[in-house]
Amino acid sequence: MDTNHKDRSKVYFNPYFGGVLLGMVLLATFYITGRGLGASGAAKSTVVAVVDRFAPEHAENSGYYSQFLSDDNHPLNTWLVFEVIGVLAGAFLSGAISGRLKLKTEHNPKITNKRRLLFAGIGGVLFGFGAQVARGCTSGAALSGAAVLSLGGFLTMLAIFGSAYAFAWFFRKLWI
Amino acid sequence: MSRTYILLTIVAILGAAVLVFLPEKKNQKELDPEKLLMEINNSSRYLSTDLVAHRLIEKDPSILLVDVRPAAQYGEYALPGAINIPLEQVLLIDNEGYLNRNDLEIVLYSNGDLWADQAWILCARRGYKNLYVLKGGLNHWFESIMQPKSPSPGSPSQDFDMYSFRLAASQYFGGGANIETNTENSTENVIIKRREKKSVTAGGC
Amino acid sequence: MGPLIPMGIIPDQWNSVMAVLIGVAFGFVLESSGFSSSRKIVGLFYGYDFTVLRVFFTAAVTTAVGLAYFSYVGWIDMSLAYIHPTYLTAAIVGGLIMGLGFITGGFCPGTSLCAVAIGKIDGIIFTIGLMLGIFIFSEGYPVWEGLYNGNYLGSVKVTESLGISDNLFIFLFAVMALAAFYVTSLIGRRIKEVNY
Repeated sequence: MDTNHKDRSKVYFNPYFGGVLLGMVLLATFYITGRGLGASGAAKSTVVAVVDRFAPEHAENSGYYSQFLSDDNHPLNTWLVFEVIGVLAGAFLSGAISGRLKLKTEHNPKITNKRRLLFAGIGGVLFGFGAQVARGCTSGAALSGAAVLSLGGFLTMLAIFGSAYAFAWFFRKLWI
Repeated sequence: MSRTYILLTIVAILGAAVLVFLPEKKNQKELDPEKLLMEINNSSRYLSTDLVAHRLIEKDPSILLVDVRPAAQYGEYALPGAINIPLEQVLLIDNEGYLNRNDLEIVLYSNGDLWADQAWILCARRGYKNLYVLKGGLNHWFESIMQPKSPSPGSPSQDFDMYSFRLAASQYFGGGANIETNTENSTENVIIKRREKKSVTAGGC
Repeated sequence: MGPLIPMGIIPDQWNSVMAVLIGVAFGFVLESSGFSSSRKIVGLFYGYDFTVLRVFFTAAVTTAVGLAYFSYVGWIDMSLAYIHPTYLTAAIVGGLIMGLGFITGGFCPGTSLCAVAIGKIDGIIFTIGLMLGIFIFSEGYPVWEGLYNGNYLGSVKVTESLGISDNLFIFLFAVMALAAFYVTSLIGRRIKEVNY
């Protein structure tokens, strides 16, 4: 990157430094709560809450939603939802400090805005679906799972990165 | 590659390599001997036969009697609701679910104090909590509860109170102090669900 | 000693407070490492930016090594920690689908939230898609229930299936990560720079 004019918004942590910090956050999480980090679980809770709000009977009868519903607890009252609220706040803070707060669509200049958003949506759907199948996403299954040496965590990690590499060639126009 | 990275790499490899050469840690979960000795000398683990009788009559659900005598003796006679875990099986993993519990008080008993005390020490060393020993064991149980002796005239009134409680208890447990005894002692086993591991936070991501 | 909340050292009511605080730290580190930028993340798969690989594996190794020491010193009772359960088929199939989502969407759930927080519209769309994906999965649950629950192995550790000690595996994992860092640093110099 060009070092002549320093764009503050592009200055990130050294990746190894960031990695050690992230590792310490995860370590502290295990030490304090006995569980790992997560992200997609909060999205699941949101979906469950919305479905339960608008179609409670349907949610009760569904084999999947009903696993996450209980009488004495609102579906949004879960650990991961609180954690994700924190994530949003923390990321906002970091972005504010480094001057990265800006409403924009980031994309390869060779593709249009619309195309980028379309594929972001498709990617989101696939990721959401896959995260339910594997019971966790990159943070919950792969990172937290690998840190406690879970076999499932390692397999999911390898599968995510392996398949992303395998499909990278087909979607190269999107990115480079 | 800059010198900083080389240095960091060395630190990382050393940090991970030391792990491999750490000596195996044995018996991590066992109490250290001094603490154990202190607990052994502490007599608060003993429950009197009267107290246990009282709680059995009240059908106190927070108490679990464990008979540590051999199965044959257990088969002949056991306290109501007691389960049988012979002394030599106390350390079996299968029995941990009965002996290591937070929700119940476990009362170990044998004929005297000896086996129950031995079982208690084995369990205490494992770090199990809420363990008690029936003071005097079954022998004392028979002397005090099943065939209570009336106190000599002139004893303090508490002794008479205790005696009348024991008489009633004796009747309840079918002891010899009363003429109308039910000789059949119900020795049904309590069926307890094996304790699951302490609740582990559920759900990953 | 630890884990503090399951052991009752920190009362349960603090669980949510802790969750928020941990989340703040998590979000801050992710965003500061550049995980709010999809083009930076995807750089890993085209060889122009290895940030994700570096951050991810450094974090995994740090935690694994840290937990091994904590457990050795007796600060944490790993039998109380949540070990991600292994459903063999689901872990692999789910991972493959997520990989495809990764390369098309350019985010994963955690990083998309960081992107949302700093105002990336693609991040917002990705997050909406995420929920839609979960909704589709939930609605069609009976169809893939077999896949979801297939080949359940319990909370197995990778070391149990390989038959080596935990600590040896962590050491090998660390060495592999360092080797990967070295190799990618060589590739990084050769590849055509992508400006983003």
